[in-house]
Amino acid sequence: MSGSVAQLAEASEPYLAVESVQKVYNAGTSHELEAVSDVSFGVPSGQFLSILGPSGCGKSTLLMMAGGLEQPTRGAVRIAGAPVTGPRRSTGIMFQDPTLLPWKTVLENVLFPIRIQRLPLKDYHQRAHELLAMVGLGDFANKKPHQLSGGMKQRAAICRALITDPDLLLMDEPFSALDALTRDELNDALLDIWQRTRKTGIFITHSIREAVFLSDRVIVMDRRPSRIVDDIPIPFPRPRSMAIQDSKEFVDICAHLRGKIAHA
Amino acid sequence: MPVADTARADGRETRSAFSRNAWRSGWLHLRRILLPTLLGVAVLALWHIAVTRGSVSPIILPPPSRVLGTLWANLPLLREHGYYSAFEALAALAISSALGLLLALVISTSRVVRAAVYPNLLVFELVPKIALAPLFIIWVGTGSESRLLFATFLAFFPVLVATLAGLRATDPMLVRLCQALGASGWQTFSQLRLPYALPYVFSGLKIASVMAMIGIIVGEFITGNQGLGYITMFAASNMETSLMLAAIMLLCIVGVALYGLVAVAESLINRRYGRPRS
Amino acid sequence: MRDNTIAGLAAIGVLILWEALTYAFQIPELMLPAPSVIAGEFAGESGRLILANTWPTAVQTVSGFAAAALLGIVVATAMVYSDIVRETLYPYLVAFQVIPKIALAPLFVLWLGIGFWSRFAFATFMSFFPIVIALAAGLKDARPEAVRMCAAFGGTKAQIFSQIRFPYAVGYLFAGLKIGATMSIIGVVIGEFITADRGLGYLILWATSRSDTPLVMAAIVVLCALGLGIYGLVVLAERMVNRVYAGG
Repeated sequence: MSGSVAQLAEASEPYLAVESVQKVYNAGTSHELEAVSDVSFGVPSGQFLSILGPSGCGKSTLLMMAGGLEQPTRGAVRIAGAPVTGPRRSTGIMFQDPTLLPWKTVLENVLFPIRIQRLPLKDYHQRAHELLAMVGLGDFANKKPHQLSGGMKQRAAICRALITDPDLLLMDEPFSALDALTRDELNDALLDIWQRTRKTGIFITHSIREAVFLSDRVIVMDRRPSRIVDDIPIPFPRPRSMAIQDSKEFVDICAHLRGKIAHA
Repeated sequence: MPVADTARADGRETRSAFSRNAWRSGWLHLRRILLPTLLGVAVLALWHIAVTRGSVSPIILPPPSRVLGTLWANLPLLREHGYYSAFEALAALAISSALGLLLALVISTSRVVRAAVYPNLLVFELVPKIALAPLFIIWVGTGSESRLLFATFLAFFPVLVATLAGLRATDPMLVRLCQALGASGWQTFSQLRLPYALPYVFSGLKIASVMAMIGIIVGEFITGNQGLGYITMFAASNMETSLMLAAIMLLCIVGVALYGLVAVAESLINRRYGRPRS
Repeated sequence: MRDNTIAGLAAIGVLILWEALTYAFQIPELMLPAPSVIAGEFAGESGRLILANTWPTAVQTVSGFAAAALLGIVVATAMVYSDIVRETLYPYLVAFQVIPKIALAPLFVLWLGIGFWSRFAFATFMSFFPIVIALAAGLKDARPEAVRMCAAFGGTKAQIFSQIRFPYAVGYLFAGLKIGATMSIIGVVIGEFITADRGLGYLILWATSRSDTPLVMAAIVVLCALGLGIYGLVVLAERMVNRVYAGG
């Protein structure tokens, strides 16, 4: 049961394919580090996948490789069949630190990827405003980042990740630095965005509840060696509400995952 | 199991990556020393060639060998004047530090006095106080007291400003904690403000060591009859460029030594009284 | 603001006290002229003398500082782009920062004569090092997350530099420029002391030789004003740039 969704995804030529990927840093020196040992999985188009695991299990490294910011030492990461050699225009990315540039307005920050990719800025103005309105920052387009709260900054970062209308969205613990209430708000916001846009997404988190609440599928990783120890589908239909977190099925799934992580 | 197979199959590849990376990190460490050394050697070589074979007159720029020769030949003379300059700079630093620390302590006891003095001090710091050197000649004459006074004057202000800033810099939360615990004024000062002020005080002392040196050097340039600054000017007026270069080299060494003294004192005191660097 | 009014009042108070004490104790002009006497130097013959010598000093200070700033930006940028350049130069930059550079002033006179060029070169030499070291530190310090974010969206090395590193480094740059501005005028004054050719430093020496203390002090006042003025221009520039690049 744990491998069935994964096997199904691989069978039908997944959108994102991770094939026997290994990543070693500083090979041969005294600080040689194997961040990822041997990981393979496929993600079909439109799936929201969460990766759970303890610190040092390689989940962030995997994300970096999917985003083209690192290259695997062995194996390959493919998107729509083509190997990932560098950052792609149709991949959006978010990190734990929103890293908005303090001297630019919120709007200019959202449009930053457009500027970097040398596309015409004016073509994307309307989209930027729409995205900001979608996350509730419609009135803050001309404010500076220091005028925003932490949660608002991450919302702006979501808009920035979505400005190029990417097919793939990579998120590395985007809500970990926020307080619990804001985190819940942003989880709701993300679910809402997913409803509307149906992108393929990989979400890294430490929070089991967050992973189960947001995703279609959860992968659990282990460290030393860094590999997959569990891969389960999340059966809740969308749209989801906070109420499902109290259901028995939700609690059971969380308990199951907690057991898998504790083993690691 | 697939994992073991792939590991064995690529064992060779990993091993060659191993040695490649070991070489690379060793080379990077070596490069950090090699490159600046190469530059230094190249400059010295160019210098030597420019003078011995090129068109540069040895009066303007004697070859490095001759400079070293002059240095060696005049060692007693240079040493005597070197001690003189070093001693004067050290004295200026010591006096200015003591005065600066003391005055800072006095000023910081009164909020009004501090408010009146501190902004004016900051402005004063920005002003080219070097220009006052001739004034000290008018006031105190051309002897060594004048130079000492001038150097002390220059070095005094950085210590004062830095100490005042440092005494203010304590985390107000910690001050509140001390008050809540019922600590006396003296306890709050010695246990809290002083250790917190130490990094500021030492950065001020480092600047003061530089200023003391500058003051002594400038003093010896314009009025000197003793010291390496005087030797520099004397050699310049007699077209003895090697001697001039030798004296300047020694002046630099004295300056660095003085700065180093403060740095060593800082690390010693930090080990006993300071806070660990966050 | 209240802090500054107290300080301002204190400064004025000191001036008044100075004036009063000079007259009360009949302090000779040679020792300590009253502020009013010093102000009087700005009129007539000595006033013309002061003006004539202010110009060369100002020109040398500003040009030396500008040259140092330009050179500093170029070298610091090169150091960030090229590991080889950085590893080669950095130890020397630190070494030159630590030695008493003043000691090298006579060398500049020896090599470049007693005219404009030796003083200009020395001023540039004095103010170059704080600028380049500060900027190099700032360029290297740009938040790694910001650099990663830019790379993640496909930023090239040049874009990372212009969009991320340089704006973040602006704060460091201005810290270095402020120190550089003060160093430049110090270099010019020392140069004028040694070359004794023209400029306010030379005027001070000349007036000293004639025991004309009021003129000495008047020249010192102008020199201080010049130093503060240049520093103030840098602060102004910093404020303008911060309005664009606020935060960081």
